[in-house]
Amino acid sequence: MSQSDDGQANDPAGDGTEVRLADGIDHQVAMVMDLNKCIGCQTCTIACKTNWTDGGGREYMYWNNVETKPGSGYPRDWEEMGGGWDEEGEERTPGELQDREDYGRPWDFNHEQVMYEGSDEPLRPMDQAGWGPNFDEDEGAGEYPNSYYFYLPRICNHCTHPSCVEACPRSALYKREEDGIVLVDQDRCRGYRYCVEGCPYRKVYYNAMKKTSEKCIFCYPRIEGEGPDGEVHAPSCAEDCPPQLRLVGYLDDEEGPIHKLVNEYEVAVRLHPEYRTEPNVYYIPPFAPPQHSESGESLNAERIPRDYLEELFGPDVNEALNTIDRERSRVERGEESEVMELLTTTDTEDQYRLEVFD
Amino acid sequence: MARRSLILAGLLAAALVATATVVPMLVSARPAYEIPVHDGADGDSLDGAEGDAWNEAPSVGVPLSSADAAVPAANDTSVEEVRVASARTDERLYVRLSWADATRDTSTNDVREFADAVAVQVPANESERPPIAMGGTDNPVNVWYWNGLNSSQELLAGGPGTTTVMTSGELRTNATHSDDRWRVVFSRPLAGEDANRTAFSATEDVDAAVAVWNGSNMERSGQKATSEWYYLALGPGPKGPPYEAILWTVAGLAIVFTTLVTIEGVRRTRGE
Repeated sequence: MSQSDDGQANDPAGDGTEVRLADGIDHQVAMVMDLNKCIGCQTCTIACKTNWTDGGGREYMYWNNVETKPGSGYPRDWEEMGGGWDEEGEERTPGELQDREDYGRPWDFNHEQVMYEGSDEPLRPMDQAGWGPNFDEDEGAGEYPNSYYFYLPRICNHCTHPSCVEACPRSALYKREEDGIVLVDQDRCRGYRYCVEGCPYRKVYYNAMKKTSEKCIFCYPRIEGEGPDGEVHAPSCAEDCPPQLRLVGYLDDEEGPIHKLVNEYEVAVRLHPEYRTEPNVYYIPPFAPPQHSESGESLNAERIPRDYLEELFGPDVNEALNTIDRERSRVERGEESEVMELLTTTDTEDQYRLEVFD
Repeated sequence: MARRSLILAGLLAAALVATATVVPMLVSARPAYEIPVHDGADGDSLDGAEGDAWNEAPSVGVPLSSADAAVPAANDTSVEEVRVASARTDERLYVRLSWADATRDTSTNDVREFADAVAVQVPANESERPPIAMGGTDNPVNVWYWNGLNSSQELLAGGPGTTTVMTSGELRTNATHSDDRWRVVFSRPLAGEDANRTAFSATEDVDAAVAVWNGSNMERSGQKATSEWYYLALGPGPKGPPYEAILWTVAGLAIVFTTLVTIEGVRRTRGE
């Protein structure tokens, strides 16, 4: 049943860079997120929430979330709950359902008392404020003066080899033929939650009001131009991002920046490739200032430990970081670098290949 | 000598008849896999899971085992037996199921919460026996499903993972939980209103299987305790699979044969 085994291998650029698409898929939507630009402002999170999850049993869901790494993430300790595939990518590995508390509950604040009843107490959550999304925000790891952290925005990876799709005994989840977006057929779903526990990224959510599971839809009505203005738009999380850290397009579009960054230059890497779901969200790994001595001098040592980055992004992160380092040096020497141009453009037309969606 | 032989032959014939007819009645008051259908009771009383009419309807203990479906933890099920009774009026067929479950799971409001549930499965085409696991493509089943949220559904299925809600059904359910037991009664009009609905008549037995889910054990989907095919004894006359009578006749013949061989052996030893 492994889709990677019978997946199609494309070589759009004709230069030996192979793009693997899931079987029966015409194109594959993809994102590249540059972690060096993320400021943790959660504008993407709120853009997504106001569009899709602001009510109807979705209050606790963040189809897009931004978590601090190192950290427990959202839902809490999702990386330890299993799911995905075994090392060969053939057998699914079992996962566990998270406790509701791990997602965090909406907090009740003492608005009534403070605003209307003259209480002198500070405005604060009344109870149950023991955990929530971003409860460990900015904590990170390491010791002063060499503590470190970075932000990790996460959406559904719309994987090429999705274990959520395989987990559903009713085939309620599927990859859309035209662009590989993973969707839950709400008419087929009976709320068994095998997809919720089967996704190692915990990006499928159970709606207790509707009794079905729901997830990121890559804003497909926006890329289809189905909004009020009839125009094609990038997903909300990308378009509303203040530092514009996301690139949007097809993985197999050889003219697009995603194909170049992922397949040609290999500077964008997958989160937890060892889960073997073959995610289609890629990350430019984070750089940080070098370590400092007690007296504040820069040392020749990386602040974010390589082994931690390897833990997150697999061994390919090393070559990605080295390549970016090399390309930066070229720019410093006054030479041209396509990689750095792609990563530093401020033209959204270069970042979003919306024409491919038309 | 001839008289002795005659008596012996008579005894042997009697033994044969006794083994083939009387013994089965002694060892099993009811043919295996039969769910008797009580006739002529008051419909209003049958509608309630604890209605008085159910005191008159005989119930059968149906053993359950894990369905062995292709889902995680498929073999981790907790309910081992369900008592099944059935009754009919001129219009409706009733099936009541009752099983021990100390945890009354009636909420699915948390990610990790699942509700208790029960289902009855009958062939859509009542004269064919479909595959036990949710029927087959050419041989679908009707499933009457109830869960602890007090929602019930009439489903059509043609194999695992294919259940589809049937609309405009007239399935009624009523459930109670007391003394650590669930009691759930399903009822449906005898007539099948369309091609995909099982039609019940007074002339034909109809196969039936049941499944139970324990919500607090996170049982759902194919993680369920299921029975083998039983049958609702709607047709006339004494029932029982034909092979049962055949087996008992063979047993009787075997007794007669061994007796004769023994007698012959004894006679030869004595040199008669």
